[in-house]
Amino acid sequence: MSETSQLSTTDSVDTPVKIKRKRKRPIGFYIAGSWIALIIFLAFFGWALPTPSWDESFYDSLGVHPFHPSHILGTTLDGYDMFAGLVNGARLSVFVSLVSVTVGGAIGTFIGVTSAYFRGKIDIFVTMAFNVMLSIPNLVLSLALLSVLAYSDENHPATMTRRVGVLMLSLTIVIIPILGRIARGATLQWSSREFVLASKSMGTKNFTIIRKHILPNVAPAILAIGFLAIGSVIIVEGSLAILGIGVPGGASWGSMLANGRGNIAYSPWEVYLPATAIAFTVISCNWFGDYVRLSLDKRESKI
Amino acid sequence: MSSLLKIDDMSVRFETPRGKLKAVNNVSIELLAGESLGVVGESGSGKTVLSRATMGLLPGTATRTGTITYEGQDISSLPKDEVRELWGTGMAMIFQDPMTALNPVRRIGSQLTESLTVRLGMNKKDAKEKAIELLKRVRIPDPEAMLRKFPYQLSGGMRQRIMIAIAVSCEPKLLFADEPTTALDVTVQAQVLELLTELRKEANMAMILVTHDLGVVAGHTDKIAVMYAGDVVEYAPTRQLFANMKMPYTEALLKSIPRLETPTGSRLPVIEGRLPDPTKDEPGCPFANRCPYVTDKCRAEKPPLTDGGNNHFYRCWFPIGGVK
Repeated sequence: MSETSQLSTTDSVDTPVKIKRKRKRPIGFYIAGSWIALIIFLAFFGWALPTPSWDESFYDSLGVHPFHPSHILGTTLDGYDMFAGLVNGARLSVFVSLVSVTVGGAIGTFIGVTSAYFRGKIDIFVTMAFNVMLSIPNLVLSLALLSVLAYSDENHPATMTRRVGVLMLSLTIVIIPILGRIARGATLQWSSREFVLASKSMGTKNFTIIRKHILPNVAPAILAIGFLAIGSVIIVEGSLAILGIGVPGGASWGSMLANGRGNIAYSPWEVYLPATAIAFTVISCNWFGDYVRLSLDKRESKI
Repeated sequence: MSSLLKIDDMSVRFETPRGKLKAVNNVSIELLAGESLGVVGESGSGKTVLSRATMGLLPGTATRTGTITYEGQDISSLPKDEVRELWGTGMAMIFQDPMTALNPVRRIGSQLTESLTVRLGMNKKDAKEKAIELLKRVRIPDPEAMLRKFPYQLSGGMRQRIMIAIAVSCEPKLLFADEPTTALDVTVQAQVLELLTELRKEANMAMILVTHDLGVVAGHTDKIAVMYAGDVVEYAPTRQLFANMKMPYTEALLKSIPRLETPTGSRLPVIEGRLPDPTKDEPGCPFANRCPYVTDKCRAEKPPLTDGGNNHFYRCWFPIGGVK
């Protein structure tokens, strides 16, 4: 550590740009970053790990404790391997939250930025639409969408793909106004800055100005809130699973939590482990988002 | 020389919650190619609105009337897309505050080459070469290194030079300089003004220099328009104006510049009072309440723009030195 800081001081004499990149980051940033990296690694390459299969019940070892030689994080009372379940759940949770926040964020940013940049009647309409969407509790909205579009009972079971698809759709709809409003607010602030007018006065077209001047300035705010949104999407996914309308069969963290809920007296790790995974991921996303926001503040203060 | 820009009877009104705000009233100005016009007035006199309205850069709440002829073409009735074709390549603008007129998150190089690639269709390599040449023209040392810097690494004077380089990058025929030196140190002010004048002469570029400082325009303009409350109150060739001032307002402006000869500790003369409310329609000369020579006639009737001979126009019933 001391060696790197020495290096950066000598560098600073010649190239002041470089110190900025080498500034000390808070320890939380590294912890959060490693956790997020681990989860993403598990989501993409978890299938390659030598774990027992996640959807197979081991009848000879029902409800074994964590740190058992053959099941490192134990099994559920029904004999499902916890570690395999968590690794598999990471894939679904990461996939669902990343896709819905990315798609919802992209749509929300596009709507927010263009309406704030051009103002006028469209902007009034968009603001109203966002407010209406935000006034519906997002859990209720997802619940309604899921029970209508992915209705499921014994006679008409909805397929897994359909359930996950509708889940992502409803989460995307929830994300659009949240990030859209952030994008709109940031654009209002940046588009009144003189460099936008300066670029305009050189004959630059509006969409070029948005792409080159507005988006680079709005992006950090969107990213920061986007990370927070990933955290809340994971929580919403868990809540829906507990309510019994999310992803079935222990395929996601929330779903594992929902399945293990009844067994808390006999095998509490069935609840604690997925809950811990959710909590760590959400906290890491929040820390990471905070760090992005902080680095944005530092840059602002230098101007 | 041919007429480059002709503003005829231009007025600008803003819609505000308190009613219509009169920002610019019936202004007529003509500018020849390569000529330099100074627009002088205190804050709120409409000089910035005048330059932005001429370019067509007003916000949606503003309405503009009158005609603007640029190179023989009436641009005041053109659709926005066609006016934009003129921005950058025909008319360009330098802004008051170089601290906010550059995008904080983009490197100087990318901001400088933006209009070259977007407007002139240059490829990246040519644009970079041209950018280096432009930086040399605005006297920036080590231009290659400058391309990689961010705005926050530069001083105000440097940033204003970058802004000037961006503004002249597409070789405009008319440059609006909206208080280009107000945010700068006095020592840097002179350098920037010198630079503007040199660039103007090299490229035979016309310039409209907007400022509140009569001292700034004195050495760098061919003619001067003094504005007060949205009106042009005095309009004359620079030498003529300084030699033979007609308007009490211009005189008061000049008096409020601090001088070396005045003894230490003496009070700086100021123009008492303030601008009239631009949303109200009051009779009489708008300067009447602040004018040292005010008469009853001034309060009752607004004076017209009078031709005093020698291309000298003024808007006063009782001009200094008397009516010819």
